Amino acid sequence: MERLKTADVGQVAIAVVLLAGAIALLVCSLGSTKFATSTVAGVALGLVYGSLALALVLIYQATHVINFAQGELAMFTTYIAYQLIQWGLSYWEAFFATLAIAFLLGTVLQVAVIRPVQHRSVIATVIVTVGLFILIDGVVNWIWGGSFRSLPSPFGIASYDVGGVPIEHLWVWQAGVVLAGLAGVWALFRFTKLGLAMRAAALRPASAALAGVRVEVMLAIGWGLAALLGAVAGLMTEPSQYFLDQAFMQPILVYAFAAAALGGLESPAGAVVGGIAIGVLQTLMVGYVPQITSELQLPLAFALILAVLLVKPNGLFGRRQVQRV
Amino acid sequence: MSINRKKLGALLGVVAIGIAVASTAGAASQGSPGVTKNSITIGGTFPLSGPASLYATIAGAEQAYYGYVNAHGGVNGRKINDIVLDDQYNPSKTIVKVKQLVENDHVFAVVGGLGTAPGLATWNYLNNKGVPQVLLATGDAYWGTCTATGSAFTPKPYCSKPKPWTMGWQPDYPGEAKLYAKYILTNKKTPHIGILYQNDAYGQNYLDAFNKALGSHTGDVVDAEPYNFTDSSTVVSAHVQALAAHGANTVVIFATPAASIAALATITGIKAATHGAFSPLTLLNNVSANRVFLIAAQGAHANVNNVVSTTYIKSQSATPKDSAMILAKKIINATGNAGLQQQFAAGDNNLIYGLASAWTFVDALKHAGATPTRSSLMKALRNLNETGANRNPFVFPGMDVKTSSTRTFPMEQLQFEQWKGQTNACNPNTEVNCGDWRKLGVVLNSGS
Amino acid sequence: MRRRLPAVVSVPGVAGVLVVLPFILSSYHTFLAAEVGVFFVAVLGLNILTGYTGQISIGHGAFMAIGGYTTAVMSRDHHTNLILTILVAFAICFVVGLLFGLPALRLSGAYLALATFALAISVPQLPLQWSRYLGGSGGVQSPETKGNVWIYGAAWSVSAVLFLLAWLILRGRVGRAFRAVRDSEIAAVASGVEIGVYKTLAFGISAAYCGAAGALFVIASNGFAQPDQFNVALSLQLLIGAAVAGLGSLWGILAGAAFVGLLPNISPSVPIIGSEQGRDVVYGLLVVLVMLVLPGGLAGLPARLRSLRRGLNRKSKPVKLRGSSSQ
Repeated sequence: MERLKTADVGQVAIAVVLLAGAIALLVCSLGSTKFATSTVAGVALGLVYGSLALALVLIYQATHVINFAQGELAMFTTYIAYQLIQWGLSYWEAFFATLAIAFLLGTVLQVAVIRPVQHRSVIATVIVTVGLFILIDGVVNWIWGGSFRSLPSPFGIASYDVGGVPIEHLWVWQAGVVLAGLAGVWALFRFTKLGLAMRAAALRPASAALAGVRVEVMLAIGWGLAALLGAVAGLMTEPSQYFLDQAFMQPILVYAFAAAALGGLESPAGAVVGGIAIGVLQTLMVGYVPQITSELQLPLAFALILAVLLVKPNGLFGRRQVQRV
Repeated sequence: MSINRKKLGALLGVVAIGIAVASTAGAASQGSPGVTKNSITIGGTFPLSGPASLYATIAGAEQAYYGYVNAHGGVNGRKINDIVLDDQYNPSKTIVKVKQLVENDHVFAVVGGLGTAPGLATWNYLNNKGVPQVLLATGDAYWGTCTATGSAFTPKPYCSKPKPWTMGWQPDYPGEAKLYAKYILTNKKTPHIGILYQNDAYGQNYLDAFNKALGSHTGDVVDAEPYNFTDSSTVVSAHVQALAAHGANTVVIFATPAASIAALATITGIKAATHGAFSPLTLLNNVSANRVFLIAAQGAHANVNNVVSTTYIKSQSATPKDSAMILAKKIINATGNAGLQQQFAAGDNNLIYGLASAWTFVDALKHAGATPTRSSLMKALRNLNETGANRNPFVFPGMDVKTSSTRTFPMEQLQFEQWKGQTNACNPNTEVNCGDWRKLGVVLNSGS
Repeated sequence: MRRRLPAVVSVPGVAGVLVVLPFILSSYHTFLAAEVGVFFVAVLGLNILTGYTGQISIGHGAFMAIGGYTTAVMSRDHHTNLILTILVAFAICFVVGLLFGLPALRLSGAYLALATFALAISVPQLPLQWSRYLGGSGGVQSPETKGNVWIYGAAWSVSAVLFLLAWLILRGRVGRAFRAVRDSEIAAVASGVEIGVYKTLAFGISAAYCGAAGALFVIASNGFAQPDQFNVALSLQLLIGAAVAGLGSLWGILAGAAFVGLLPNISPSVPIIGSEQGRDVVYGLLVVLVMLVLPGGLAGLPARLRSLRRGLNRKSKPVKLRGSSSQ
């Protein structure tokens, strides 16, 4: 794996800007309860985007595939959790059981559906994931139908009152889970042999195979882990969407893509930071700039991301890919 | 690569195209479109899959009612065959499906189609061809204001020519919004009104009429928050937070079910966070007031006691002993469709809506002559008189379904209702201790 | 060496069938065939970008939206001849495509895909914002409604013209440059091909085609243009069509257009489907399976069948070790 230490100045500049932004948010929040409430809600929303973006980044880092079906997979595993609870398991039993099921599902999908196309063009794999999207949607609708179902948050609506700003217990848990996930992914790729093998399998399959890495297994594990992260994202997102229905991950997927693009598809931390930035921007726009009517929110968010990508084509935290000829 | 894969691939390609071609084959018909000696074929487009698929139960209920009528000999000896097609709430798909109904399946009339944009996409086509487009399952003003004929018609920006073959059914949204404005002015001493509305023609319909009805009191509106249909619930929640931040003590929700549930849950959340300081009078549009949505909101930890809305149909959960509700249960059970039966038991009001709408169609058909034509059907629909002894059993007691040369909206009455009876012991899965709608006041007129 | 656009024999054959078809088919089936024609134009255009130049786009539904709204608005406000609106849509989208292609040069692979995805999501929102001119959620209705045969004629005539245009563009230097970009950007640069120019051009051309397709799409939709018709699903459909089509042979594009034009509308009464949900399951499965099993898309089907036959023959005859082995 090569790493080019270019443009570290750029990275530092970005870090400084983000830090400045965070400090500005903090200062304004201390000044106004309304601002603080909006910001906190925005961070919570951003964590939701970030959690799914994390799964997207993991799959990309481990298998170099953009998975359009990530959100629907997460939705599917959430429905599985719902069904397990209907069959009598407690919330936390169902939670962990679902994670295991998600891992299995991810590996099976990779082996059955992605492996045959992954060495071909990007387009082929993208299409297969799009097909999976449609397929999973159909399957969920088939099994569970279109009605709203309740999968209540294990924390209810209890919230802490911090100086007049409500902070739901759920949000604290979400933050904890996302940060744990982020730390886990980072540690996996930085410190473990498995992580190294996975990255090698994704970047240089031929060389990795020669070095003894079981490439196919690594890719399958990558998908399994991403599905697991996605399941966590789905389970965390659902309570904040208030009910379970088929389409609940779709708006999240859109912003998760935006977060991943913004932060850089190679950077788990970037994805989470990108997600938080988008979430805060959204809630602040809703609260303070009503002239930006709701139709323009999506286009503006994406215009912003396009602008960022033009300046930094690999996202804020991405590294420029250098190809040796 | 093994040969089997290649074979499979080739076979797949051929099969795929074969299915596509074969599936579009339609039945031939004879005589007047859709009418034979012993059958009448009608059709409608519904979102059976995709974002709005909650409303699929309406189509199921309509078919159930026609099944019941057929089991009792049909209308003038003709059995009603209702073809329901999925348009996924996408207007270009609606056009394809409506063309299929008219040109391939040769339906007598397009009945009960759901959705405003789908209706707008096809009303030119259907009116040009003289195909009835009736009992549309949406309350936008278009279906009444554009469908008057002769001197009663006044051109509007969205309809320069009258659409005589089109007709709605349910009470229109502007009329409903008007009643909410009146309710607030009557019942709230110093209202500070916050409005959450969907940012499209649907939501705008409500908003404009509401503001107009407030008259000199439009200053009471402290904030109006638009949200997109595709917004996630958290964004909707942020809009509700904004309403609270503007000091609203009355919240009016002109939304679709998903956003309404999020709004109700958020209101409860803010109430808890402010220790009861924010405790608004909450009005909910009747599209979102189906019992199953209120139960789902309770599943999301919302406290929906005292929420106010309106209705125009009976409720199988509120008045289960009503003879029409007993009949409704019988009709739904006769379909053998477990999903429909489950929804009926859960109190899904859309089923009663479907039965009521289908009842009106059959009523019109009975008055369309021994051999109905499209013109005679329209004439019967423009002279509905479901009043007195001939009342529609499924609409709210005392309400009329009536049309005439001066009245183009069949239903122009609403009954206020308020949710009562939710306790902390509510279990959303069994719906025990979760309360229900209770009548509030008398039947009111929502027409202009 | 992959087959380029087909021999002079099959084109008149297909053309002949297309001319005769409206006389054989019922009015409704003519309409369906017209819809396939609309997708033919779009898939043809997108195929130039993805198949020939190797650039991914999940956003060409946005260009259909621009083209479609051009037609609806021009027809509503100025009663412009519908065919003229198709030309205008073509031109406008060519320019917009170029404008998008220029900054897109900075992006590649996954990021390009995401940027085009952003386009697909954002553009349909715009009519909701400028609802006074663009109709908002009530849509824009053209006063002209055309019959099924007219729509069929328009769609397939435009298809024929644009197919010829594509053939002319792709057989020459431009086509070679596109393929060079697809096969190896580095080699292309080394050979003196200005990849920036050609990538941008590919974007412009494909956008123009999708603009024309969008105009036809709105004409086929009774002249009604509304944001829900141009959602992300449409862009995904186009991409599926282009991928399923494979590498640009006439048959491939026809098959790809039929695949995305007809399949999602299959009636649930067809066996094995059984319901609306079942239809989505089957459609999704088919998309996955076609990509898995037919690497060259449906365009590669004849080659596959041929090598299949060859493989069967080889089993019965002794092996001749001359020449290169086939797949």
